[in-house]
Amino acid sequence: MTWAFDPVAGPYKGQTGGLAWDGTAMLFSAVQEDRVLRYNPATGKADEFRFYTGRTNGLAMAADGSIFGAQEGGRRVIRFMSDGSTAPTLDLLEGKHHNQPTDVIVDSKGRVWFSDPHSATPPYGPPIFPFLDHASILRLERNPKGAWDLKRITSDTKQPRALLLSADEKTLYVTDGDPDFDGPSKLRAYPVNSDGSVGSSKVLYAFPPGERGIEGMCLDSGGNIVACGGWKKNGPGPMVYVFSPSGTIIEKQPAPADLPMRCAFGDEGLSSLYLTTGEGYLYRAKAIGRSGLKR
Amino acid sequence: MTEKSSVSKTKGTPVVVDMAAPGAERIVGNPMLEVIATDITFGEGPVWDARNKQLFFTDICGDTIWKWKPGAGQEVVMRPSAHANGMALDLENRLVVAGWAGRTIFRFEKDGSIKTLASRYQGKKLNSPNDIVVRADGSLYFTDSPGGLVNVGMVGDDLQKYLDIQGVFRISPDGELSLTTADFFYPNGLCFSPDESLLYVNDSKEKLIRVYDMKPDGSVGPGRLFHRYTGTERGVPDGIKVDIEGNVYCTGPGGAIYIHDKNDGKILARLKMPGHPTNFGWGDDDWRTLYVTMLGSVVRLRLNIPGVPSR
Repeated sequence: MTWAFDPVAGPYKGQTGGLAWDGTAMLFSAVQEDRVLRYNPATGKADEFRFYTGRTNGLAMAADGSIFGAQEGGRRVIRFMSDGSTAPTLDLLEGKHHNQPTDVIVDSKGRVWFSDPHSATPPYGPPIFPFLDHASILRLERNPKGAWDLKRITSDTKQPRALLLSADEKTLYVTDGDPDFDGPSKLRAYPVNSDGSVGSSKVLYAFPPGERGIEGMCLDSGGNIVACGGWKKNGPGPMVYVFSPSGTIIEKQPAPADLPMRCAFGDEGLSSLYLTTGEGYLYRAKAIGRSGLKR
Repeated sequence: MTEKSSVSKTKGTPVVVDMAAPGAERIVGNPMLEVIATDITFGEGPVWDARNKQLFFTDICGDTIWKWKPGAGQEVVMRPSAHANGMALDLENRLVVAGWAGRTIFRFEKDGSIKTLASRYQGKKLNSPNDIVVRADGSLYFTDSPGGLVNVGMVGDDLQKYLDIQGVFRISPDGELSLTTADFFYPNGLCFSPDESLLYVNDSKEKLIRVYDMKPDGSVGPGRLFHRYTGTERGVPDGIKVDIEGNVYCTGPGGAIYIHDKNDGKILARLKMPGHPTNFGWGDDDWRTLYVTMLGSVVRLRLNIPGVPSR
């Protein structure tokens, strides 16, 4: 069965990016437009959720309904509050400004994990603060005083892009690698220790040289990793892969456009897969035989 | 962390002048550059307090308003400072501040307290007030670019933009806020011509300067393009000021302060700075010293034509 992706919103200028299902509608980033939009499947309309987002890409919903955003242009994770304001988080790792977050997730403890790669697109404002000499998964968590602490989680990543926690939150999946910097991506899996640190990573899948690899990931109800990536330039082209938790490709589907960016389940029962792409549309495929994991 | 000036602190260094049109030397002379303050990250908001013979300036990233007095050195005026940006002195010699990350215009009262003069337009929070100028009638004009909502190391506690414009605003002598123009993507520096018949405003994203005729009620007529910067050198229009002849000085590409012909905007010369100049203000008793804030330092140099006094 080939998944039938239909464009449901767009085109927007540049790529569409991060996705987050808020229970009723799909939030998605129009990264270069500096906007986050909200597609409501009941009305078929995409309305503006926020503007002047500083090239926010990855999105993740917190338990209180606020939305975390990976603000590539501002080098920080921001939080779109329910009252319409936008709060910053701590953007200093041991006193130094981190890089340019691109993907973000929130775990059941409210901790905010994000990928912090270097970027080919410079941030906003004058170049005052140097980038970190590493590109890692970082995590924000509240300290006993209620303020944010920021910790470095991975020490072996080169350019982490997408990240995901398994259903039991005992495994962290990271796609590591960026063809613009250090070659194709690898899908890494880290055991998450009870103290919140991670153990050594295992490469579940390595893409051949020249390929783009994975840019976005989500989890289906069976705990499999639905991952989008690839490009027309070479390799198998733009694709959606389904990996088993051990890294075996159990399904492959062609993506509807070049440069798939992110994917997430949405709609009633998380029954549809949404996909963003390099040419700026929001796509949706219904009835693909998989549904999303309810967390 | 900071881009440091390469200039010696103790000894003046000749300023490189280039792109000079015939006759530019009458304005520029042979200036020497002297470093007066370091250990800051992002200098801005220089304003000379003639009454007390001292310079106020801000360090946006360092979240501090400073003053510097010849012979006495630097002293903190306010910290944290809402990452304050541009500053000016009003008719009563009170410091008025473009509050950037704090999203307000505020004033230092004589008793040392802080008074907020503007924080919302039509019920919505301002973006991040960038630079400010005082007119002879006591009204204040300021630019409201959005950089203080996103730039690394210079934001406050609410990063949401609410206004769909990047305005130039006026606060009347009785405190009323009104929109002067919404022509800009990123309005930054602003100043009046010596007789205050013209308002110059630059745009850091469009890399241009527009000029407006002032109307008697303090509003402006349609904007005209005064100058558009071209080329690939790094740097954008930021600070802008005029001298008493009306020559227009503006930071621009190439780490330079450009001097423009008031009649047609043409470049008369540019002063190359050792680093990244952000803004500048006239100072000293004869108003012929240009105090220049930079990334990492504050420097000064002497020019031939006095500037329009800051108060």
